[in-house]
Amino acid sequence: MPKIDLTMDVNGRKVVKQSEPHKRLLDFLREDLNLTGTKEGCGAGECGTCSVFVDGKLVKSCLMPAAKADGAKIETIEGLARPGSLTPVQQAFHKTGASQCGYCIPGMVMAATSALRENPDAGIEEIKERLGGNICRCTGYTKIFEAVEIARDVIAGRLPETALDEDATGESFIGANVRRLDAPSKVSGRLKYAADMKMVDMLQMQVLRAPMPHARIVSIDTSEAEAMEGVACVITSADVPGTDGFGVFVHDQPVMARGKVRHFGEAVAAVAAEDLITARRALAKIKVEYEELPGVYAPEDALVDGAPVIHDYAQDNVIKHIPIRKGDIAKGFAEADLILEDEFRTQQVEHAYLEPEAGIAYVDHDDVVTVLSPSQNITHHRHMLAEILALPINKVRFIMSPVGGGFGGKEDMIYQGMLALAAMKTHRPVQLNFTREESLVASAKRHPSRVRYKMGLKWSGEITAIEFDMLSDGGAYGMSSEGVMRKAAILSCGPYEVHNLKVDTKVVYTNNTPSGAFRTFGGMQAQFATESMMDMAAEALDMDPFELRRINMMRIGSRTHTQQELTTASLDRVLDAAEEASRWEAGAPKVRGPRRNDLGGPDTRKPCTLGARIGEPTDTQTKDERVAS
Amino acid sequence: MNRKMRGRGMASSWYGIARTATIDRAGAWAELDDGGTAKIVTGVTEIGEGILTVLAQVAAEELGVRPEDVTIGDNDTSRSPEAAHAGATRQTYMIGNSVALASRDARAKLFAEIADHWDVPVDSLRAFNGELWAQDTNLRMSMDEAVKTCKGRGVVPVGSASFTAHGTGLDPVDGSGSPWQAYVFGTQIAEVEVDTWTGEVQVLGIWAAHDVGRAINPRGVEGQIEGGVVQGLGQALMEDYQTEKGYTTTHGFAKYILPTSLDIPQINCVIVEDPDPLSPLQAKGIGEPALVPTAPAIMNAIYDAIGVRIKSLPATPEKILDALRNHVPGREQIAQSARQDRAEAHRRGL
Repeated sequence: MPKIDLTMDVNGRKVVKQSEPHKRLLDFLREDLNLTGTKEGCGAGECGTCSVFVDGKLVKSCLMPAAKADGAKIETIEGLARPGSLTPVQQAFHKTGASQCGYCIPGMVMAATSALRENPDAGIEEIKERLGGNICRCTGYTKIFEAVEIARDVIAGRLPETALDEDATGESFIGANVRRLDAPSKVSGRLKYAADMKMVDMLQMQVLRAPMPHARIVSIDTSEAEAMEGVACVITSADVPGTDGFGVFVHDQPVMARGKVRHFGEAVAAVAAEDLITARRALAKIKVEYEELPGVYAPEDALVDGAPVIHDYAQDNVIKHIPIRKGDIAKGFAEADLILEDEFRTQQVEHAYLEPEAGIAYVDHDDVVTVLSPSQNITHHRHMLAEILALPINKVRFIMSPVGGGFGGKEDMIYQGMLALAAMKTHRPVQLNFTREESLVASAKRHPSRVRYKMGLKWSGEITAIEFDMLSDGGAYGMSSEGVMRKAAILSCGPYEVHNLKVDTKVVYTNNTPSGAFRTFGGMQAQFATESMMDMAAEALDMDPFELRRINMMRIGSRTHTQQELTTASLDRVLDAAEEASRWEAGAPKVRGPRRNDLGGPDTRKPCTLGARIGEPTDTQTKDERVAS
Repeated sequence: MNRKMRGRGMASSWYGIARTATIDRAGAWAELDDGGTAKIVTGVTEIGEGILTVLAQVAAEELGVRPEDVTIGDNDTSRSPEAAHAGATRQTYMIGNSVALASRDARAKLFAEIADHWDVPVDSLRAFNGELWAQDTNLRMSMDEAVKTCKGRGVVPVGSASFTAHGTGLDPVDGSGSPWQAYVFGTQIAEVEVDTWTGEVQVLGIWAAHDVGRAINPRGVEGQIEGGVVQGLGQALMEDYQTEKGYTTTHGFAKYILPTSLDIPQINCVIVEDPDPLSPLQAKGIGEPALVPTAPAIMNAIYDAIGVRIKSLPATPEKILDALRNHVPGREQIAQSARQDRAEAHRRGL
């Protein structure tokens, strides 16, 4: 491939380099210049993690061909401050705790810097709009807003530089707002995530993924791909030396599809090659013959007699059913003055951590197969990989690299096995970095759920019985499904003491993208139903929703749904705190929004109308003044 | 009906801390190191929640050094003790307590030597912020000197510990059991504005009160609550990963809509501290629980604003408009007054 000559001013230094014509500015910065503070989050200009300045303008470097930046002045996160120092924006991010996983933070710091360069007096609404092209999945943005406002005021001289200092510590470090120790490396782009690391002689891996959701694999022919120049190895399930299967509870997922594919995007084969382009080209040379099978795409359909079977071991397609029984619901409903029945649904949700899956595997001098990746569970991954590789457990080593957001989505060992196999086959380091599209199709999601709910209450508000029935779509593999159903069942009827209940949570296999662990592990789906029912009950009983909850809440000595006696319980204080903080106007939830007097307080934001504020003379009060006013 | 309608809703929640319905455990090693610094080694790392800072605070407090003097080492199955996984709202509780106990173990080795060196009772020794002293005396030295003295006497002040949380499995028939030893509770209120022409919902305010046990780093707790609320808001209003007969139709972030800076309500956090009696730190956790009540609070607020109850997430503009279109004016009120009539009849009957 002919190379192109590029000349740029990068962070104040002249750079003259030959590069490949396909490279984006992002690739040129990361691969050719090792400026890995600029991250790739989506490759499509949607997330902003790759933001840099090109001739002073904020640009998403994944959307700009490197050749187009020829002759330009580039400023990256590494160029904002001298090594060992931080700009006021970076210091403010450190102070407020504006970085959590840190993966979006270099881009966010660039966007914030841009906002204050474009308008040093930008008000908070304008700042929010100028950060609108940068996604953060961890922080909820609130600490970021606070940081940008402090930085603005320090730069403008409205606040002293000491406003950037750490809060003072009293007589204990427990309960103190100690600044995050990892923040300086995150706000300056110095922290290396797995995709930022390079090893000598390292190969790049690419994965061939299933083009259909349910099919028998008739044959895989890798010979042409293996013969390609630059290809070091091709791996399939045939390369697995041990017991092929992983999963958080049931080990039902092979490292790569074995005999059949069960969901669209499942790994079928992988190539390790000298470079990414060669690996991608080699994928096209792998010939896979599929025989398409009828699939199951809705959890209700999975339970029908004669439904296609997805895993041989589970002829009924059920991954797990968790029952909880307490008291006598027939008696409880008979005692009820009011019975409400309803149905609730939640959707499939993506974790959308900004760091796509990435990892490196190598075999070390002691023949230890080593996998470095942002795994949320290196302990369990080591156990499973040892079985898969048929190695003693001390010959398998997992290193947890900095995690650019997890939320449960990085508990599943969906790619580490492939990396290990390729490293063992080549005895060279191998790296795999997912694209955002791959991450979306291959990683687990939050379980979609359907809850049928029946609640009986007395006119006094006391709940007499609950019948709770959840059906969840587990997708193609078990992953964390069993645990998610258990937690959903245990927490199902909410923080209320219910003497008579019947709870069933069930999760089934389908040919959809697998569901797995996601922050709350089923608790959110279950309690969405319960809390909706509670408000509907409060309306029917003409009762304030806080009051209804207080009547039924768990107290010290209450027995939970699983009949555990509580020795502590704080819902009483939490309800009081929330009611007071929000200035809640008591009343039954009977569409009283139009008549409420507690709306629009100083502790709410103004509604947002896009584009309305940029250019407006905005408030330049300092944050402290605004809080005081 | 005005074009823009506002309302409020609330929801409560509860959650268990650490692994569910099983024994949970975590191990850690601690060493008071040269220069009065400290090394902590445990098998789990930062996923963004701030655990490294929390562990440094805990180790500093227990060892008598400063958080910035603490180095937290390898999260590596071949180099560090097992601490299991980074999830289940278990990091502060499990790893935090194992680091506290390992630090106490290391401190005890140091204190024994210094007490002997000074000839004072060991329980008169205190250490904080890089200094060590014997109460009611003028004896005082830096932790740097203390470590030197300890090592000069032939002892390296190292410690190790394992912390256990005693959950039990569930009975397979009736589900009875004690899945966790620590529980947290939360309540959130949402204030929304619904645009009845476009169906868009904006969340203007969230009040989030959460029991977290003892808060090790209040600002970090707020960060977890704010992040959880915004993920809950995303699930409530916009996020939707879709497939069609198994084929993904949500290929990238252009289709998978996430909350951005313009979607963020003012989030008002209230930290309630109900200390855990069963663990040395008395902390519990907040990583996951903060997300639980957000979506139902928002749905309850939408109902308060426009009388439409969304029972299927997310409450997209399309769903809101559809519900408004198919909404019979006054239907809820009719149903409600019928219920009240029945209630009244019932009361009179008593």
